[in-house]
Amino acid sequence: MTSLTDRYLAATLRTVPAARREEIATELRGSIEDMIDGRRADGRDAEAAEREVLTELGNPAQLAARYADRRLQLIGPTYYLAWERLLKLLLSFIPALVGVIVGLVEATDGNGGDAIGAGIAAAIQTVVQIGFWVTLVFALLERTNTSLNLPAWTVDQLQEDYVNRQIKPVDTVAAIGWLVLVIAYLPLQHFHSFVPGDDGGNLPILDPALWSFWLPVLMAVLVATVGLEFAKFRAGRWTWPLVGVNAALNVAFAAPVIWLISADRLLNPDFVNRWEWLSREENLNNVATVVIVGTVLITAWDVIDSAIKAYRTRH
Amino acid sequence: MGSDEVLRTHLQELRRGTVVLASLIALRHPDYGYALLQRLSGHGFPVDANTLYPLLRRLEEQGLLTSEWNTEESRPRKFYRTSDEGESVLRRLLDDLAAVQTSLTGLIEGVGR
Repeated sequence: MTSLTDRYLAATLRTVPAARREEIATELRGSIEDMIDGRRADGRDAEAAEREVLTELGNPAQLAARYADRRLQLIGPTYYLAWERLLKLLLSFIPALVGVIVGLVEATDGNGGDAIGAGIAAAIQTVVQIGFWVTLVFALLERTNTSLNLPAWTVDQLQEDYVNRQIKPVDTVAAIGWLVLVIAYLPLQHFHSFVPGDDGGNLPILDPALWSFWLPVLMAVLVATVGLEFAKFRAGRWTWPLVGVNAALNVAFAAPVIWLISADRLLNPDFVNRWEWLSREENLNNVATVVIVGTVLITAWDVIDSAIKAYRTRH
Repeated sequence: MGSDEVLRTHLQELRRGTVVLASLIALRHPDYGYALLQRLSGHGFPVDANTLYPLLRRLEEQGLLTSEWNTEESRPRKFYRTSDEGESVLRRLLDDLAAVQTSLTGLIEGVGR
């Protein structure tokens, strides 16, 4: 059986550069034995003294890092802010973009039902991939001490109303982007839902009868919401009038959706009958319940969130 | 974090740089790791062994210490000694420490008046 000191030395030297390993081993062994002798001179028995000394020297991995002058952090202060900024920038739009593209590709392949799931899965994978690779690159930079040659910070970079700006350009662009996608999807699903009908054409997902009134209304509400995003960006923060308009637009969108789906008027009956699972009464009711609860939750959250933010700017 | 903890971290920060200083002074007289540890703590510089041993090697790599193996005793020991370069760095550091002390004294008197 090897002694504790032998094992401690082996554990320490494992991660010390090979070129210096032997010399450090001899010196460290000598130092440990000196320390043990010192304790034994104070009257400790050999075994207790060895345990105490090795405990005092602490985790071998940490000691080795000190010998090798190695960083015990993944990304240090030199690179942290650049890492954080790049990660936020990439995560702000790439996963959503990939998700939409994958979803659309899946849909054009005729798998309309899987498109949303595939899009979400691709977006999540993209988040993980971006997080991993960006962090890996910065961790390597940290260990090789590479200079990034980033332009130094100057006072000119201070934005005029940065302190009070609650609404960031990125958020506004993202919000408007989604709204435009939804607005474009409403007519798109009518002509090209990717769900083939019996006659070879595409089945609209939403009831075509709604085009006489409700779908144009919903589109108008969404267009008005785009206007609200612009107004919000101009104001730079949530104000009480904006909260009021936002609440009104939310209700104007959610109320018709909830009423139409609970009256079985939202989905195209041909589309419902196309799917055996969906055409069963209880399943259709479950879908309606999920849509209603989801709509209520999203609407309520959006209104409450805007009110909280407006309240915070005042206090 | 209690106030004891705050005090402890500030003291630690204040003391951190003085270990190098104390080692360079002490090693004007050559010594090996454990004996230096004992001498330093005997003179009011308690240093952790796992800090001092790697520090000695780093100072040697920086050229501030030279070393020599002594194999005459029961076990081989590496003796470190402050090099000429280490001596000149030490003098600059001591000057700076004195300057800090002078500035502090001036500041204390200035505030007291």
